[in-house]
Amino acid sequence: MFTTIFRYELQHWARQPSVYIYAAVFFLMAAGIMWGTASEAGGGDSGRILNAPFELNFILNYLHKLVLFLLPAIIGLSVYRDFQSNMHHILYTYPFTKNSYLSAKFASALIVVLFIISTIGIGLFIGARMPGVQAERIGPFHLAAYLQAYVVYILPNILLFGAIVFAIVTFTRNIYAGFITVLLLLFIQGIVAGIHGDPSQQYLAAILDPFGQRAIDYSTRYWTMAERNERLLPVESVLIYNRLLWLGISALIIGLVYKYFSFGQNAISIRLKRGKESTTKKHNFGSITTVSLPKVSYDFSFGQQLKTSWALSQSDFRYITTSWLFISILLAGILFIFFQQAQFNPPYGIKALPVTWAMLRAPAFLFLEIIQVLTFLYAGMLVFRARISRMNQLLDINPIPNWALLLSKFLALVKMQLLLLSLIAIGGIAVQLYRGYYHFEIGHYLFELYGLHFIRLAIWAFAALFIQTLLTNPYLGLFLLILGAMGMAGLPELGIESYVFRFNMGPELAYSDLDGYGATLLPYWYYKIYWLLLGLFLFPGALCWWTRGLPLTFPERFRIAFGRAKGKTGWAMAVLLAAFLTLGARIYYETEILNPLPSQEEEDRWMAENEKKYKQYQYTPQPRIVSVQINMDIFPESRAFNARGTYILVNKSPHTIDSLLIHYSFEEATAYRFNRPVRLLSRDTAIRFDLLRLEQGLAPGDSLAMNFDVQSRRRSLLDSHTKVKSNGTFVKNNLFPGLGYRPLELTDNGKRAKYGLSPSAQEIPHPSDSLALSNSYTSNDSDWITFEATVSTSEDQTAIAPGYLQKEWVENGRRYFHYKMDSKIKNYYGFNSGRFELKRDQWNDVSLEIYYHQGHDQNLGHMMSGLKGALAYNSEHFSPYQHRQARIIEFPATYGRYATTFANSVPFSENYFILDVDDSQEEAIGLPFYVAAHEIAHQWWGNQLLPADVAGSKMLTESLAEYVALKVLEKEYGENKLRYFLQFDLDLYLSGRAEDGAKERPLMYAHPNQEYVNYRKGGLAFYTLSDYIGEEKLNNALKAYLEKVKFQEAPYTTSLEMLPYLRNATPDSLSYLIEDLFETITLYDNQVTAVHFTPLPKGQYRVDVAFLARKYRSQAKGHRTYGKDSLSYQPDPGSAPLLSLPLADYIEIGVFGEADKGGSKEGRVLYLQKHKVSQINNEMSFIVGQKPLKVAVDPYSKLIDANREDNWSRF
Amino acid sequence: MNLNITKLTKVYPNGVKAIDNLNLEIGPGMFGLLGPNGAGKSTLMRTAATLQRPDSGSITFGGIDVQKDPMSLRKILGYLPQDFGVYPKISAQNLLDYLARLKGIHSKRERSKLIEAVLETTNLSEVRRKHVDGFSGGMKQRFGIAQLLLNNPKLIIVDEPTAGLDPAERNRFLNILREIGAKNTVIFSTHIVDDVKDLCTDMAIMNGGRVLQHLKPTAATAALAGQIWARTVSREELESMEALFPVLSAQYQHDHSIQIRVHAAERPAAEFTPTQPQLEDVYFIALREGPGKAEVGKRKAEGEGGISDFRLPISTRPDSI
Repeated sequence: MFTTIFRYELQHWARQPSVYIYAAVFFLMAAGIMWGTASEAGGGDSGRILNAPFELNFILNYLHKLVLFLLPAIIGLSVYRDFQSNMHHILYTYPFTKNSYLSAKFASALIVVLFIISTIGIGLFIGARMPGVQAERIGPFHLAAYLQAYVVYILPNILLFGAIVFAIVTFTRNIYAGFITVLLLLFIQGIVAGIHGDPSQQYLAAILDPFGQRAIDYSTRYWTMAERNERLLPVESVLIYNRLLWLGISALIIGLVYKYFSFGQNAISIRLKRGKESTTKKHNFGSITTVSLPKVSYDFSFGQQLKTSWALSQSDFRYITTSWLFISILLAGILFIFFQQAQFNPPYGIKALPVTWAMLRAPAFLFLEIIQVLTFLYAGMLVFRARISRMNQLLDINPIPNWALLLSKFLALVKMQLLLLSLIAIGGIAVQLYRGYYHFEIGHYLFELYGLHFIRLAIWAFAALFIQTLLTNPYLGLFLLILGAMGMAGLPELGIESYVFRFNMGPELAYSDLDGYGATLLPYWYYKIYWLLLGLFLFPGALCWWTRGLPLTFPERFRIAFGRAKGKTGWAMAVLLAAFLTLGARIYYETEILNPLPSQEEEDRWMAENEKKYKQYQYTPQPRIVSVQINMDIFPESRAFNARGTYILVNKSPHTIDSLLIHYSFEEATAYRFNRPVRLLSRDTAIRFDLLRLEQGLAPGDSLAMNFDVQSRRRSLLDSHTKVKSNGTFVKNNLFPGLGYRPLELTDNGKRAKYGLSPSAQEIPHPSDSLALSNSYTSNDSDWITFEATVSTSEDQTAIAPGYLQKEWVENGRRYFHYKMDSKIKNYYGFNSGRFELKRDQWNDVSLEIYYHQGHDQNLGHMMSGLKGALAYNSEHFSPYQHRQARIIEFPATYGRYATTFANSVPFSENYFILDVDDSQEEAIGLPFYVAAHEIAHQWWGNQLLPADVAGSKMLTESLAEYVALKVLEKEYGENKLRYFLQFDLDLYLSGRAEDGAKERPLMYAHPNQEYVNYRKGGLAFYTLSDYIGEEKLNNALKAYLEKVKFQEAPYTTSLEMLPYLRNATPDSLSYLIEDLFETITLYDNQVTAVHFTPLPKGQYRVDVAFLARKYRSQAKGHRTYGKDSLSYQPDPGSAPLLSLPLADYIEIGVFGEADKGGSKEGRVLYLQKHKVSQINNEMSFIVGQKPLKVAVDPYSKLIDANREDNWSRF
Repeated sequence: MNLNITKLTKVYPNGVKAIDNLNLEIGPGMFGLLGPNGAGKSTLMRTAATLQRPDSGSITFGGIDVQKDPMSLRKILGYLPQDFGVYPKISAQNLLDYLARLKGIHSKRERSKLIEAVLETTNLSEVRRKHVDGFSGGMKQRFGIAQLLLNNPKLIIVDEPTAGLDPAERNRFLNILREIGAKNTVIFSTHIVDDVKDLCTDMAIMNGGRVLQHLKPTAATAALAGQIWARTVSREELESMEALFPVLSAQYQHDHSIQIRVHAAERPAAEFTPTQPQLEDVYFIALREGPGKAEVGKRKAEGEGGISDFRLPISTRPDSI
């Protein structure tokens, strides 16, 4: 019987056009993604091999969501068909077993799904062989790579979740239950994705993820480029446990269904409350001779039809919301929202206060997407509702116009959206209550949910109704709608970037407590009105295709649609379409003709031309800026600024200078003039670069004044790229003109090759490049400057610039501030303006100020102590502070989530002000404190010491600022907290190098952009060195170095100059550390292999430990090398030998007992000592005075070790 | 008001010509549409009920062109499809309320009064709060009738309404139809001849998408007086009888013998006795003579009206009047 049903089913599917549509869609998407990415369109990370298992898995993961919806549409439908056609009444009386019926149905549908998704692999294969594909992005074809991507990831998911969907549809006899199941799984994935926390929680999350992707991510999180390009995906314990868990869950569900599924007439219904059981017995057998019905009035007026439409929508809305499917989505949604908003497991314990905008943002991404999918799904269900329950013949003969019916569907969908949106507000307020945050901004909730998100969803409702009305297959409709939504986001990959051509897309909204949605609001609405017009057009469009009465053939429907598109409907459509096109043309004109933003390709071309034409002038001597005087007028109301400035330029070179190279802002309007006659030789309007000749050469030591005006460009309503905000403006001096070559160069080798440029391996000069030492990392047209500024703003705002306030006054309704710096500073400054609150404090003679937004006062204390701690540490160990003041100024999160250091001020992102810091928790990162300390450390390491603009420059600034911040943190909060920070640094370094791919460099040669090296590894390296050689020794070396180089003029210092100071302070036995930490990329792979303890008399214990110590060097792409005299060790006779660099290393071994109350989580330290290790395999014994629980090699992550878990072992 | 059907043709995509250049005029009163399964009755009725569009031809009702202005017809139309489903988990009362809104009754008070009345009329008052999707076949059919009464229809189209009703309900239903049929136009399709006999003043017999005969039941039956002959035969003899005589119907008796009825102007053979003509005879004669003899023969071979299609003996049914 199995074969008969199986074959019949396959024949059925082979006749379905939808199967081929699905297959074609997957094929085209896969081929398109592969072709597009491989032929440089995306660009970026050259070095990735796109047909390596890791990348194939990545692409499959992208398509996976779409694949999931095939499960109900094919596997669910296979069994649902029999219920829908009432075939089950007949079928179930036939003599086949439950077994063969169910298994044949499932197996055949599974084959169909496999056929469909097999086109992904074929598409990828073909896409990689299309013309234009870059050879270095495609490796040799390995069948195993393709097979593995399927076998490890997508096949088990189809099997497991296909079975669950099949079981649930069989059980409920409702195909929509299948779709809802998929959505529920996506919610579970969303909840799991919100688990960050420490490694053990990440491990748990990796096991819980329904689709196993998190498990693969977990195993490959530190994979370098070499591993990503070469290795097969790891089938490790975490993935296996994950698959087993979900295999168990699906087996359980299938088992239950199998047990309870019966070939019966009725579905099993879940009833919360059992109604009174009764039988109906007929009593009235009497006949009737007269029919007398009460007179009623009939009204077919427009107004009444409208009311009817509303009433019908209530029925449809109830139909949606009273089904247990929807209720389960609702409950899962609430759970998901709550999890997202409550941040139970924030990454690294960094938790924000439950401010309203964060509550709105946390769940928005996934939840809005789910509402969108539900809109697509229920649009289909509502359009087909009458046909599914076969009531259409009763309904369609009623005197109700089509528009009233369609409108009722639309209203019901919209009500569902409103209901779901309200969950975000309810969840947000609940979380705020729960966390004791009582600043409720109900208006903000309502505005964002109903004034912003809702419009977008309503436009989707129009589109969904149109598509579902047009098509006769609601599952195909759902699939195509999801595909369409994904496609709109993916269109830029195909070079279509303008929002005018991407349905329901538009610029992102950005919110800050300081200035609300700022300039992002109007453009958002403009695009929404534009797409709403199309949505409204689709309404009569759907009316034309609305099926009334019995199903029709397509030619008939076509004829009817054209017949209906006349009269009022036709006029409405014409008017809406005209309005849509007019507004679209207008927006297009504004954004693409009047104010075109350069496309990526144009920008690339400009950068290439810049390098080709002007790089020759990179070291052409130019006069240097020695003095800056700025008048900055900020107009918060109109979001504009107007700056006038004067540079005093001095020829510091030994030669006469007769030509000037001036570059200026891309976005603003700039004018400049000199106090000597000049002649314009050329003007490059694309790159904004002018060549001028001085009529009379500037003699060495001679000076020149340059005056300039920079005005914010007048912006259209649709252009949100304005720098001035209504509150909290923060602009920097990169707005102003500069001298010399502007080093904007392409870094992607593929793109460089395209424009005929040589590979950019050396795009940042090596520290031994003496020519490059003439510029500091801050500026290539100045060294140290005197600075003075007058800043004006609206009367209710405070404006701040570096320097000390000389005078403040009000004139013509505007407030003026005059600032002047009394010492020389580097050429880096900015202007802030906002309605600030002010907190003051004092450290010795230094006045401390924090300018913050009202209400953002939770972290002021932490910031103040960070400032004080770093001021104290640096002054004590290195040199005195050069200013009399230190200010922190808050700027809106919409500018970014960073902090930076000017002379006596430190602008700080809003994000740090709204962090929720819990110092009592060991595993929480107190960023406000830490970042304040880091930034103030830059007053020494970056403002006193100014490195040359070469590789490794940031080791002298960022790494040392990190080191100081770690030390200050340790002083303030103790070792335990510090250790948590070290782990945080290590994790970020390891994942950063995995992401960076091909270009990792040793710390002292790191590229300034390599934050994971400069910050994370750098902080660790200096901390480890101080731990090994002693804090005092290291700090004395740093002090001596700083003494030599601070406030120096060109040539500037480099890491090469600093390293001997470190080496001299390091004893010979530890000199390997200098090489490992600074000069090379060196990692350990330490591992405890066996532990054992024996009780001794007097309550003592002997602990025996066996551990492996290995060390290797990593090349840029992550290949491992072990040096010339590498060590080798074969743990078992059969196994591959383990290799290591030669060892003479000191490695810390720790034994831990039971945890003390309030002590470290690792437990009480029973033994902690550095041991010299010179071979891979080591065995040691220690006597401890307490019962040991755990043993660890390098317990505190002082060494860089990619696999931390195996460093620990429990008894 | 008259329903005029002119040159109506409908061909389904699979090639079946469901209605073939059909002309029919139906006046007020009860009109029975009689025909075998697949005769095109449902297609004709659905087309008249605005659910389908013909390929050509037109239907008008009292000046309303059904194709051009379906909405006007819908205001005065009551339709009961042959087979219909309902939204699940909604009570009879609420579903009627839903339909009453669609039919343009906006006053809540009026709706509830009317619904109460139609429930009473169709004998559903007791189950008004029960979900319609849980109704038995007969109860669901009555619900169909109840909804039909909601808009005081002028044109009532009911497609095989008595199928599945118990005898008492059938009576009740036919009485309701008779009541509203007195003033309005009721088109009533069935393949049960008795329904028409009991009820209709006018009727048509349809097959192959055409009207075979348009006639008055009583007159047509009377016209056959003296032309219907009956005879009892054994099962073995039946086949030879069919070959020899134009056998209209054959019916088992209680003793397993078979009574056959033959249409002939004169006594076909000595064994035949004259018998009272019935409407059923008219029906079978129409089908036999149909649009052409060959076609009827073909249908016969396919089993229409053949020995396998025996009806229940009339005598076992309760007399309906």
